[in-house]
Amino acid sequence: MSEGILVANLDDIAEGEGIAIDKSITGTDDNIALLRDDDGAVWALDDTCTHETASLAEGWVEDGHVECPLHASKFCLKSGDVQGLPATRNTCPHRVEIRDGGIWLFPNETP
Amino acid sequence: MSSTCSVVIVGGGIGGVSTAAALRNRGFLGDLTIVDAGELPYDRPPLSKDYLAGRKSLDDIALQSPDWYDDQSITLRNNTTVAALRADSGTVELTTGEQLRADRVVLATGGQAVRPRLPGAGIDALHVLRSAEDADNLRKVLLPGARILVVGAGLIGAEVASTALHLGADVTLVDPLAEPLSAAIGRDAAEWLHSVHAANGITTITAGIDGFEKTTDGIRTYLRGEPHHFDAVVLGVGMTPNTQLAEWAGLAVDRGIIVSAGQLTSNPAVLAVGDPTRRTVDGAVRKRAEHWEAAQHDGARAAATILGLSLPAETAPWFWTDRHGLHVEAVGQMSAATTAVTRGAIGEPPFAVFGIRHGNVVSAAAVNDSNAVRAARRLIDRAIAVDCRQLGDPGVDLRKLLRA
Ligand SMILES: Cc1cc2nc3c(=O)[nH]c(=O)nc-3n(C[C@H](O)[C@H](O)[C@H](O)COP(=O)(O)OP(=O)(O)OC[C@H]3O[C@@H](n4cnc5c(N)ncnc54)[C@H](O)[C@@H]3O)c2cc1C
Ligand code: FES
Repeated sequence: MSEGILVANLDDIAEGEGIAIDKSITGTDDNIALLRDDDGAVWALDDTCTHETASLAEGWVEDGHVECPLHASKFCLKSGDVQGLPATRNTCPHRVEIRDGGIWLFPNETP
Repeated sequence: MSSTCSVVIVGGGIGGVSTAAALRNRGFLGDLTIVDAGELPYDRPPLSKDYLAGRKSLDDIALQSPDWYDDQSITLRNNTTVAALRADSGTVELTTGEQLRADRVVLATGGQAVRPRLPGAGIDALHVLRSAEDADNLRKVLLPGARILVVGAGLIGAEVASTALHLGADVTLVDPLAEPLSAAIGRDAAEWLHSVHAANGITTITAGIDGFEKTTDGIRTYLRGEPHHFDAVVLGVGMTPNTQLAEWAGLAVDRGIIVSAGQLTSNPAVLAVGDPTRRTVDGAVRKRAEHWEAAQHDGARAAATILGLSLPAETAPWFWTDRHGLHVEAVGQMSAATTAVTRGAIGEPPFAVFGIRHGNVVSAAAVNDSNAVRAARRLIDRAIAVDCRQLGDPGVDLRKLLRA
């Protein structure tokens, strides 16, 4: 298990929104989207939609899902599973921990 | 009708494939067959965008991976055309003479690009765009410097003009309307969006066309009385619904297959989804939707009807279109609005225009601001009254209006 990376503060992300953390920080192949659900919980997914090129961090976050800002495929925040076309492939989830208002990211660890 | 044991879907576009996916998703265990005339079920929106530009292959735009059909126990009969439907016996007849029987048949036959009956409309260098084959043929002529006329500046025409320009062609775009798409996104936004073509180097002309003449090196047509010469012409002037199977089977058809709110045709053994249908909602027969998501939602409803389950909630109609690197979305019914509220400035993306009636949002269109449209859709669906000043203030988080 990795140490985790402190990537943002909880206050940096409004409920229902997301921010992208650059891959130079996460050390992953893709940037990672931190997505804050409307219940306040924070989740992390690979940022690039599996359909075409869109940043899920710019998507609409609601009810356990993020809706892609281009063609509106939905992905489960927890599992990264795609819920419907046009995307057909799941995206990759990453584990997140909140400590003292800080968001710690554990790239490639299953939530 | 949970006693349904077999379903045959005619057509493997987004409508047909979504019907199949939703049937399995909601627990249908019977035999499921998709018959499609093409090589494989693929997605059409990229045909005027990345596929036409050569950035995506047919495999890249497949609606589902090849394994999906096996995984879902769906028999895909590709390269197979249905010649006739016998609604009463639940039989579809293939062009080979083979007959497939099913408890329920779903027509998901899409449509064809309109070729207007104008003099010269049969000339070889006159293209339309509906299938991957059309796109392959068109790409061959979109060469650097090629003189291309695009007729129709609504959705597909505007996208083709943009792709052609970015491939280096010398593009002229003609439409009888000065602000194409204004019915869908409002006049001011439409006027600006259309002006983006000229700003990028496309010659835009407001005119009708009354015919084409073949010349030794291409096509001649008259625009506002002046002769113009082109290497090729692309017609983007609309779609004709594929309603023949329904008509021959005696189903109710009136410029589209008439279906119920749950996608049943006039014969309850047959359902229909997607581009060729006109849905009856609250007693009124709607126009054909002709957008990607509408066909997807039709599929979800058809599956629910077949399984006797509740229909998914109604939601305002939505579509997107892309041109010159701009992502445009629209939701709801612009014609229902009595006033408009602009968020940001038209012409300076991101911006959005909301249509308002009696204090409620009834429509929205946005350029590079999908979340404004996604918020508007929820405001419409949930009938939440809004304060127009807040709606128009880019500093106000639209999600807050939803929580109000
Ligand atoms: C170039 C282009 C760009 C578009 N861009 C956008 C966009 O950006 N946004 C948007 O919202 N919408 C867009 N659309 C519209 C969208 O693609 C359609 O609304 C959608 O494809 C409709 O799906 P469908 O399943 O009803 O029909 P189709 O996709 O047409 O599928 C029908 C299928 O049925 C098959 N078929 C028909 N008759 C038979 C038969 N007798 N036997 C066997 N098979 C048969 C056909 O081969 C076809 O595969 C675009 C359309 C085109 C053509
Ligand atoms: S890019 Fe995300 S759904 Fe198309």
